[in-house]
Order: sequence, then structure tokens, then C-alpha cells
Amino acid sequence: MTTLHFVLPDGSSRDVPATPGHSLMETAISNGVPGIVAECAGSLACATCHVFVDEAIASRLGGPEGAEDEMLDFAAVERRPLSRLGCQVKIEDWMDGATITVPETQV
Amino acid sequence: MSDFSVPGGQPAACPFHAAGANHEPFRHEGMYEFFASVRDDVPVFYSPQIGYWVVTRREDVLATLRDHESFSAEIATQPITPWPQKVLDYLKERNFTNEAVQVACDPPRHTRIRMIASRFLNVRRFSFYEDALRKLVRVYIDRITGLDEVDLVDAIFYEFPAQVVFLLLGETDFDPRKIKKWGDLRLNMVWGKPSESELELAVHDLADFWDYACELVEARKVAPGDDYPSFLLARRDGDDAVLTENEIKSLVFGLLIAGHETTTNAAGNLFLELMKRPEEWAKIVRRPELVANAVEEGLRYASSVVAWRRTAKVDVTIAGQDIPKGDRILVALASANHDGACFDDPETFDVERRNPREHLAFGSGIHTCLGAPLARLELKVLLEELSARFPDMALMPGQEIDWTKTISFRGPSQLRVRLRG
Repeated sequence: MTTLHFVLPDGSSRDVPATPGHSLMETAISNGVPGIVAECAGSLACATCHVFVDEAIASRLGGPEGAEDEMLDFAAVERRPLSRLGCQVKIEDWMDGATITVPETQV
Repeated sequence: MSDFSVPGGQPAACPFHAAGANHEPFRHEGMYEFFASVRDDVPVFYSPQIGYWVVTRREDVLATLRDHESFSAEIATQPITPWPQKVLDYLKERNFTNEAVQVACDPPRHTRIRMIASRFLNVRRFSFYEDALRKLVRVYIDRITGLDEVDLVDAIFYEFPAQVVFLLLGETDFDPRKIKKWGDLRLNMVWGKPSESELELAVHDLADFWDYACELVEARKVAPGDDYPSFLLARRDGDDAVLTENEIKSLVFGLLIAGHETTTNAAGNLFLELMKRPEEWAKIVRRPELVANAVEEGLRYASSVVAWRRTAKVDVTIAGQDIPKGDRILVALASANHDGACFDDPETFDVERRNPREHLAFGSGIHTCLGAPLARLELKVLLEELSARFPDMALMPGQEIDWTKTISFRGPSQLRVRLRG
């Protein structure tokens, strides 16, 4: 089983089971991880599922591209090098144990 | 619009048929009670008065909004009461070339335009306006300070969102009441039940409204500023493949409606529900940190957009009901937002509700309202400022609430309060 480690804005953290093929956003929503809003439900239309991935994910997947890259420019919390939209990152087996940080706010 | 037969041949006594027969799409009194009475048994029914399938449950509304492959949005801004040829001819004569650019267009056109518009209309950029918004609200509040009684809609909610739109457009010298009048008129022409003579009168103003949007864009071509039309023109940079000039004019025309009508109504709805419940208002006064959640609960409990439209692009099935390609669908956002499957005790207005944000007042999917963060900001500032300045504000007793009369938009046309309790 793949487990993701979410770090929340208040410093607490939460381990949630993840299914390969689902997105980070879907995983967060279905496990009730607070701070992921996903207003547009993964249509790349809102930038409210902004997360910071860990170095391992960033180096293996590369950075955001195209529309995701554009959308990140206007996320509520300013983007950083590890910023991604959760709806665009598909879970893979090797992500087991990865740390995903939830920004202070999405709106 | 009266000759729609009920498909399927259901017997008269079945709940499906009864729901269709009892559905009064233009009537706001009793709307929530009606949906509460049908939602459990009837997830979808046919409304013969308008010729639309009506979807009542949140789950199905959400699925419909998110499935832009099966459902087209092109119908979203088409007149629900068709305009007579005379009106269409007049608009042509007046060069009314407004085209669908956002809410009523499908991908890939929608994707191209949204990616550009959203680079200006987004939460980050809106947040830069917070101080200006607060200043504006305070001007309106100062004007009513000292009065005993006031109609909040007339005194603040009607104009304030239009002033915010002017901020985005870089307009400094225009009468907000004129924009509001134009907006009201267009809403009635598209979503209301205007008579032919009303339409013939209104269409002149509609054409004037379009001319105003065009002139505004033309002016920014000559003297660009730090505003939405100037931004769009800069992105276009003369390239029709990016955005045409007519698309820019249509975007500005769109913002001149979408940017304020629903926020005026949302503010009226929120404050009406709070004023009806002094204990909830007192919570906001005591604990201003509840404001953001209260705003969401207002949007959930009394959305200013109660229904939205789609057309089936293919044969679809919603909640077991087969709907053929080409049929029209009305997603009842008001009903979805009171669905007990998502919201505990859905008919209770509770500023401390756990999950009000799961409402669908701003839609979902690729057409999620671009102005949602701005509307939220405006409502937040209004609630913070008014509750701080008038903590004892109370509803004037005995007033009858008069609602807007369109199929999609809902808000009180007045809200009289005592400012000092």
C-alpha cells in the first residue's frame, strides 16, 4: 500500500492511504485532509489544490508545465520551487512515504 | 413556451409527474420547501413549463457540472423566453456582436479564453484590492451612520459590487446605478419572463450597454491602464488567435453583469438570514473569526444563483433517468445546497456549520466561477465592517421580502434594518 505523509499548516501531520493512479488532490479530499479545497474538481481552473511536494517527487517528475505552471502563478500562497497543483500529480507506487506540505491557505 | 409534453408517459399520480406539475421555476417564494419535498423521491423530473429536466440532488448536479464532455454549456446565457425576430433584427442593426466567451462556451474555445481571463481574475490579484474594497464599504457605511433605519440593499449592496467592477475596469467616472439598471434589465431579458413589449423597450438599453463596453475597450486601446481591458488587450497583442477584439469586448460586457448582480444578491441573502436570526448575528459580532464560515453558509443556505443550465451533447442517464441528446437540463443549485446527503440538518442556517463550503453556489468543473474569490472577499469585508459598526443591527419587523423574478438569480430587492437595534 502507498502511504502519503501530509504536513498541515498548523505543523501537525497526517498519514493517509493512497491509490496509485489517483491524484494527490483526490487522495487528500477522499481522506479529509484539511486545506485542500479543489474548487474546480481537477479541471485546472482554480488553483485551490496547491501543495508543496518533496524533493524526491520534484526531481523524478520534473516541474509543472503548461496550464498548471500558469495557474500556480496565482495560487493564494505564493508559489515555491516545489509547488504543484495536487490535481495534476498522479500517485505512483514509488511515492510511498512521500511528504506533501499543505500551504497556509488556498483562498 | 407552454407546449411541452411530458415525456415518458408517467401516470399522473407518480411523484415525478407531481414534481414537474408543481415546479414553478420563476417563483422564489417556497422554492426551498418545494425542493425539500421532492428531493428524496425525485432526483430528476421534467418541468413542462420551461421544457427542462430538473436535477435536484447534489451528487447528480455535481456530476453534471463536472462532465463537460457530455453536457454543453452553450445554453447557459440564451434567453429562456425566446426573443422575437423584431428584437433580434434591432440588435443586428445596432451592431450588437456580443458572443459567448466564458460561461456559455465549451472547450476548446472556453479553455483558450479562460486561461487568459484567469490571469487577471484570480484570487491573488483580487487580494490586492482588499484595502480599496474596505475603503469603499466604509464610505457607504459613513453615509448611513446616524440613521435609525435603512434599506441595506438600496444603501450599500446594490451599488458596492458595481463599484468594485469599476475598480477592475479602471473606470472612475460612471454612475453605478446605470450599470445596475442595465444589469437588471439584461437578467430579466435572458432569465426572466418578459413580455414582448417589455423586450422591445429593453433591447434599446441592451444595445446601449454593449456600446458602453465597446467604448471602454476602445478607450483602453488609446490609453491603457492597470485594469482588466488593458490587460486583455496587452495579452492579445494584435493576435486574433490569442483573443479577438470582439472577444475582449464580450469579456468586458460579461464582467459588467457577472461581476456585480450575483454579489448584490448574495449580500442581501446573507444579511437577510443573519438578521432573521439575532443569535447567529450575535455570534458574528462576538467572534469575527466566524465571518469566512458565515459567508460560506450564506452562499449555501441562500445561494444567489439557484439554477443553471446545460444541454445533453449525447444520450445521458442521470440518476436512472435516460435523457436524450439535445434535451435541456436545469441543475437546481439551491436544491443541491440543501441536500441532506452532504449537509447535516440542511434547513438550518448555522454560521458554525462544519462544511458549508461544499455548496455549489459557484458551480464546479471547468466553469467554476472565476469571480468567486472576489465575491467572497466582498462579502467578507461587508460582514466584518457592518458587524463591527452596527453590532445591534436588527431586522425591521413586518416586512415582506420581494424577490428578483428570474429562473436563475435570487436576492431580496430590499432589506430594511434598524441600525441601533
